[in-house]
Amino acid sequence: MTTTADTPVTTRTHAPLGRLLGAELRWVLRRPRTLVVLGLLALVPLAIAIGVATAGGPPSGRGPGLVAEIAGNGFVLPVVALGLALALLLPLAVAQAAADAIAGEAATGTLRGLLLAPVGRVRLVVMKSAGVVMVAVLAVLLIAVVGMVAGTVVVGGAQGTLVTLSGTTLGVGEALGRIALVAVWTVGQLLAVGAVALAISTLTEHPLVVLASVLGGLIVFGVLSAIPSLEWLQPVLLTTGFSAGTDVLRDPLPFDNLWSSTIRALVYIAIGLVVTVVRMRRRDA
Amino acid sequence: MTTAPGTLDVVPFPDGPTPDDQPAPAARVRGLRKTFGRVVAVDGVDLDLPSGAIVGMLGPNGSGKTTLIRMLLGLTRPTAGHVELLGRTGDDLPAALPDVGALVEGPGFHPFLSGRDNLRRAAATEPRLAGDLGAPVDAALERVGLTEAARRRYRGYSLGMKQRLGLAAALLVPRRLVVLDEPTNGLDPAGTRDVRRVIAELHDAGTTVLLSSHLLAEVEAVCTHVAVLQRGSLLVSGELSGLLDAGAGELVVTTDDPDAALDALRAAGAGPYLRDGGVVVPSGPLEPPDVVSALVHWGVGVWEVHRRRAHLEELFARLTEEDA
Repeated sequence: MTTTADTPVTTRTHAPLGRLLGAELRWVLRRPRTLVVLGLLALVPLAIAIGVATAGGPPSGRGPGLVAEIAGNGFVLPVVALGLALALLLPLAVAQAAADAIAGEAATGTLRGLLLAPVGRVRLVVMKSAGVVMVAVLAVLLIAVVGMVAGTVVVGGAQGTLVTLSGTTLGVGEALGRIALVAVWTVGQLLAVGAVALAISTLTEHPLVVLASVLGGLIVFGVLSAIPSLEWLQPVLLTTGFSAGTDVLRDPLPFDNLWSSTIRALVYIAIGLVVTVVRMRRRDA
Repeated sequence: MTTAPGTLDVVPFPDGPTPDDQPAPAARVRGLRKTFGRVVAVDGVDLDLPSGAIVGMLGPNGSGKTTLIRMLLGLTRPTAGHVELLGRTGDDLPAALPDVGALVEGPGFHPFLSGRDNLRRAAATEPRLAGDLGAPVDAALERVGLTEAARRRYRGYSLGMKQRLGLAAALLVPRRLVVLDEPTNGLDPAGTRDVRRVIAELHDAGTTVLLSSHLLAEVEAVCTHVAVLQRGSLLVSGELSGLLDAGAGELVVTTDDPDAALDALRAAGAGPYLRDGGVVVPSGPLEPPDVVSALVHWGVGVWEVHRRRAHLEELFARLTEEDA
């Protein structure tokens, strides 16, 4: 291949992957709505902490629930906050990142620019996945850290220990380990949502379609799992495992639900990524 | 372009390889067709973009210009036909893209980033750039006259500034081919001049330029070649001067006594007529010296006689009306 008089700086046919990833992560973090969503998610543990602190003693009339468990037991707060947020808020945050990643770029006309550069179509999926993973990790990390701080400051730990649902007491190291475990597990569940959302994102030019699909999917899954005659569907539904996170509050730690929900998430991730790559390779821009 | 036996990645063109005495065209398409459902957007187009040329692609709205460009750049798969871009075809086509700059279907940028940050993001994806990306970004901004507004958010840009930023993205790297789809949309006269200057600079550097436009005067002013599309088909393509000369031949006489001039020329055997205050002598038996001497002998004061070059507008009107 001949070159013109102005010799290009390099003869590479692809930009270095590291530079692509850096540009993508910077773009995700500079997008105002990413920051707004992360900020709102940080309010979840704060709201729970304030609720627990102002409620005072155990609520009358009802048995002690998970939230009541937080009273005087601050390290439970991040676990409960992650569990609550995983029901809807965290999946929506990840779905939004996935929606902006491909459908949003198509809507602003920037996807064309990426393909013309050219960023290879498979590399584009890698780059876009990295952005979604980062949002999932940041969101979970934020809730866990704010939860721990709010738990210890507002609620107060029982001398830095964690009293499990089973009544035993764990030391600081063990408690932090349990929180880290639930955080990593939550990221895994979110990546399953993210992979599916990314696949939907390759099918449309409208980011809202992705958000609506994920929201609708979560609701439908919830309804399906509430119908007793459809119990056989449970192993297939991603949302079935969403409640497994609070298992880390039990002692000894029951791994079976955490494990099966993680396998289920991996299957969703695989399917989502395959659809994304296949669709992206054929997509017009 | 030769293919090693057994490899299938290079699809030979029906009309065989380019002769050795001519440089290979920067791009060429053969039998290109694209349908969207039952709508035929592009139908059997054969077109060469000669290396180093400025090719103006003309056509009414919806004539298939943008679809043709999108297929040329690999953004859309042709329904049938071949595309060769800088010697690359088929699945290998994207390998040509680092040397191709394009502004297609309007500029696409993120509203929450400044013009400069948008360009930096584009620069990060350019395979040909290495090391510090700031210098090429600033140079491209300077070249399109956006240095002052570089730090403002894209959200606040005027239509013309957006268009300039799109042009800057196409110029981030020295290119072998630059494709500009309606580049002067929304530009003020100064902006239009800037685009012409940039195209001239690209031409001087040996870059092939494909300019799609519906502004005939713009194409006539800057292009060396034209291709006219209508309803997805190529009506004509070739060197601009050749196409215009084919439609020329009239002499236009400027005089202060048109009636006497008409009498003189009729007497001399021409079929003159008046248009816009000038006397038009269609090409016929009289050569220009005969026309002038006939007028002078009749005593008509002649201010000016010139051979009129056909304007692209007439050529275009003739072509598109014939077809209609």
